[in-house]
Amino acid sequence: MAQRDVERFERIVLPHLDDAYTLARYLLRDEHDAQDVVQDAVLRALRYFDGYREGDARAWLLTIVRNCCLTWQRRHRGDRLVVPFADEVAERISDSPQTDTLAIEHSQRAMLERAVATLPTEFREVIVLREVEGLSYKEISDVVGVPMGTVMSRLARARKRLASALGLDVKEAS
Amino acid sequence: MRCADCRDAIHAYVDEELSSEEQGDVREHLASCVDCRREHEVLVVTTRRLKEGLVRHHAPDVLKARIRSALAQPDAFESPADPPRRSWARLAAAGVLIAAASSGLTFAAMRHPLAQGATTTDVLASHIRSLMPGHLVDVASTDQHNVKPWFNGRIDLSPAVPRLDSLGFPLIGGRVDYVTGRPVAAVVYGRRQHMINVFSWPALDRSALSPTASTEKGYHLVHWRNEGMELWAVSDLNLAELQQFVAAFGRSDSASAR
Repeated sequence: MAQRDVERFERIVLPHLDDAYTLARYLLRDEHDAQDVVQDAVLRALRYFDGYREGDARAWLLTIVRNCCLTWQRRHRGDRLVVPFADEVAERISDSPQTDTLAIEHSQRAMLERAVATLPTEFREVIVLREVEGLSYKEISDVVGVPMGTVMSRLARARKRLASALGLDVKEAS
Repeated sequence: MRCADCRDAIHAYVDEELSSEEQGDVREHLASCVDCRREHEVLVVTTRRLKEGLVRHHAPDVLKARIRSALAQPDAFESPADPPRRSWARLAAAGVLIAAASSGLTFAAMRHPLAQGATTTDVLASHIRSLMPGHLVDVASTDQHNVKPWFNGRIDLSPAVPRLDSLGFPLIGGRVDYVTGRPVAAVVYGRRQHMINVFSWPALDRSALSPTASTEKGYHLVHWRNEGMELWAVSDLNLAELQQFVAAFGRSDSASAR
């Protein structure tokens, strides 16, 4: 590949590195694994760069990152079945007075992170792509490789689970 | 609009994925239906909590540096199906065989000025290879008390692992690598987006050598010999800062030896 192409790649693709890393962090739940997989994904992206014409470079990169994460998970299945609990955050909360708004915010954030971390991968990925990365339904459908209808139903089910985990859901009067 | 249709469309409504006509239909239904309105409120609060609460991560400097270094050299275009480390291990194994067959010759070659060039090439190749995914460190730790003992039993030397983060050179980790066919200790430090590999192995030549710099393919290498160890620091960092690093490394090394 010519130096010119590498420069074009750096200009078009590398600005989306934070998004790529964010997706990998949520999918793999480990910063070192996320770094390794993102580096691998970027080098793969460079090799596939001939196939990239025009369009959304971010969604294109995220597709490769997402596939690399899933391959990695399949290869390391069973290595890490336990979701790490945010001990640090929990300690900070218990040390602080109950009325401290900062402590409440921390506890809410920890609860939120945990609720997302415990979602099955197929739900977690649509939540992260929509709520963190801000992708449209069409883009999510391209990245995940499923029809728009499936994106919508997964998003709806994932949000229902999260609302209930966060205690936000409607309590039906029985 | 019936409630069932509204519930089906409500996520797309919140995400503004409906046509303007459909958005209008849902809005109209919500104005007249208490149950759907309550469902809508829960959804709005949930998505807001997610959008505001979930962390957007930043790619760490170390990752950016690894990618930049990998893009700067042609090995980046190799197929990942054949990881370079495997072929290198094979090469190293071949090297050991040849060395065993002709150890006298090898020893003589080491003293020849050409051998210096071979070592430079090998050290640089090892540095570049370390920047490939998953190759930088086998023990990742910012704590010297984790990195130093890790080498026990993996290699026949105990490398210097000084703590230099107060000088802006955080420890990243260590690994065992191969240079000129022998296992060597590699200790890795960072400097902003740059990686510094420090290779060390027992010296055949017992005389001391003060730090000597060279430049190859845009990387800087500093070679010195101290207390019976060959030491090489390699980085794409500018030479002045690399020399500053070597000076600090040398100081802490001899301080900790005493």
